Amino acid sequence: MMLNRLELADSQLDSPLGRTSPIIKLGVGIGWLAGLALTLAWTPPLLLAAVALAAGILLGSVRVGTLARSIAPLWIAALGIGLFNALYSTSNGDPAAATLVALGPTRITVEAATNGFALALRVIAIASVGAVFTLTTDPTRLADALVRQARVSPRFAYGALAAYQAIPRFGEDLATLRQARRIRGLRGSWHPRLLVTLLVLAIRHGDRLALAMDARAFDSGSMTFYRDLRWSWLDAGVAIGASIVLIGALALGR
Amino acid sequence: MLLVGPSGSGKSTLALALAGLIPRDIPASVGGSLVLDGTDLQRLDRPALAARVGLVFQDPATQLVMERVEDDVAFGLECRGWPVGRMRGRVPEALAEAGLAGLERRRSHRLSGGQQQRLALAGVLAPRPGILVLDEPTANLDPAGADAFLDRLRAIRDARTTTIVLIEHRVERAWSMADLVLALDGAGRPIDVGSPADVAARSARRMHEAGIWLPAALEPPVEPRQTDGAPGRPDSQGRSEPAEPSGSSRVGIEARDLSFAYETGRPVLEGISLDVGPGERVALVGPNGGGKSTLAQLLVGLLRARLGTVTLGRRNPARLPAAELARLAAYVFQEPERQFLAERVGDEIVLGLDLARRPAASALLADLGLPLERFGDRSPFRLSGGEARRLSLAVALVRDPSVLVLDEPTFGQDRRNYERLLSILDRHLRAGTTLIAATHDPRFVADVVDRVITIGDGRIVGDERVR
Repeated sequence: MMLNRLELADSQLDSPLGRTSPIIKLGVGIGWLAGLALTLAWTPPLLLAAVALAAGILLGSVRVGTLARSIAPLWIAALGIGLFNALYSTSNGDPAAATLVALGPTRITVEAATNGFALALRVIAIASVGAVFTLTTDPTRLADALVRQARVSPRFAYGALAAYQAIPRFGEDLATLRQARRIRGLRGSWHPRLLVTLLVLAIRHGDRLALAMDARAFDSGSMTFYRDLRWSWLDAGVAIGASIVLIGALALGR
Repeated sequence: MLLVGPSGSGKSTLALALAGLIPRDIPASVGGSLVLDGTDLQRLDRPALAARVGLVFQDPATQLVMERVEDDVAFGLECRGWPVGRMRGRVPEALAEAGLAGLERRRSHRLSGGQQQRLALAGVLAPRPGILVLDEPTANLDPAGADAFLDRLRAIRDARTTTIVLIEHRVERAWSMADLVLALDGAGRPIDVGSPADVAARSARRMHEAGIWLPAALEPPVEPRQTDGAPGRPDSQGRSEPAEPSGSSRVGIEARDLSFAYETGRPVLEGISLDVGPGERVALVGPNGGGKSTLAQLLVGLLRARLGTVTLGRRNPARLPAAELARLAAYVFQEPERQFLAERVGDEIVLGLDLARRPAASALLADLGLPLERFGDRSPFRLSGGEARRLSLAVALVRDPSVLVLDEPTFGQDRRNYERLLSILDRHLRAGTTLIAATHDPRFVADVVDRVITIGDGRIVGDERVR
């Protein structure tokens, strides 16, 4: 198993959404999420998911194939969650409710199906917004924005960024550990003990990285910043546009 | 200054102390004092200290913080609060000093290991430290990468504006670059300090005895290790000596048209065909990333080829059940700590081992300087680099494998451990074990193998018999 790095093309990073402050994009995501909690209607999540995907493709220069590959598993999971909720809804046991499907002892009422579907749609909307955020946001820029625009501690933001760089390494650790098991005649490529070793390796790597960062004077005084990052009209535009979309979607869902 | 000493002599500890990380970030009890330009290190605050001392570690992967090359070089400057204008001027300069001019926008994980290590150097050079401390900076690099790194270091040395403290085990090139050599013994006491010529004249013998590598030309004459020309070979009359380890049957490997690629990306190996005879000792050499380890793993069934076939003693090793594979082959991975599966050294050695072999295990560990009485209860992760390497070797050898694969077996070993490793290996190879070693170490190639296969860009580019 290899954990691959998500590598954004320069066109994605230089697109309008790529240049928008990650803080604004995070804010939009959270705002939309909160808005969706206000309604059970089908239109708002559908509309928000559609707008997010369209924005990703048109404003974020995300290739349709890339976007489809990254959201497909999330959508399938969302439909699974919806189906599960429809199957196990308490309203299925209500004899007065209208039956939609009955297969032997299994019965799904109209109400259960409706609620399950509404839930699936909301998960789809959240997944789509999340995928577009990830595919248009440079991790370095996210860390910069967290520190400079949202006043998050540099120790947390840049520490997390350095840890993010190390993620593929965990995949390699695991691959080697599994090979080590096989060559020693141990059956099965998985064993809970591997988790312990993985954790030990991750901690050791983190220790060394932290030491190297400390040796470079990390977090020892006030930082200056090499990369440009300032609020722009684009940020305001995205924030206003996203608010209008949300209000419109909620209005349509009434 | 060149700082040499056997494993565990405190070289890295001294490097950390010079950079002020001991006792600040790593608690320790410290006696004596370190004075930098008339100021006690203890009295400098972190930014002042970091502005004066730069520290380069062994593994590039544990030093790079940012995704892009220029961002990583700028990181140390940002932390020291440099104004943006000065940073923009300095970053390309520092990259040029490290021989990486023009790579500003590249992603650091796309660079080769050698380039990554020079990127770490650029990041440390950027704030213009007065003192540059390098802790075995070339140990993880292939020969070309190590040479390029030392070339840059020589240029910095020749500019004579930066004090350099270099820690190395293999000193062929570093020796001639040094104005001063400090040699430590196993207990961390100084053996000698002085100009390279003086130190060699006065203390070559004592350094040799402490297990320190010297440049080959300066090694004191030693009585030949083996009497027969080729160490470990049955002699010319065909009388082979009674070999201690026995029971391993001779097994060869055939590979036909192997190709391999990881899930994503271009092929790592293409069209490799290869026969390794039973009992043959083969070195796989070539640049890092060329596919040496991948080939070694394919040959013993730890990876499955995309195209082509591998036959290990008439079977396809990738399809063998683990228990059968383990009886045929053993593999010592490049990084020992990535293969430890138990919490105690005593458990590690017997994990998956037949009961009948357990007595042999404790004898082997004692031979390798890891007696169970002292090490049995220790965690494998708490061993020194040399000890961990020997434990991983013991885990492999105790099985008397027919085929033994070693990935960079001599990496970071001092001379004493190297010789210990060689003599243990020798006993097993005499019993007819087939050896495949992926290595950069010319000394190991000269001492052990009889055939050298060069892998470059996923293909066999050289195959010669050296003995």
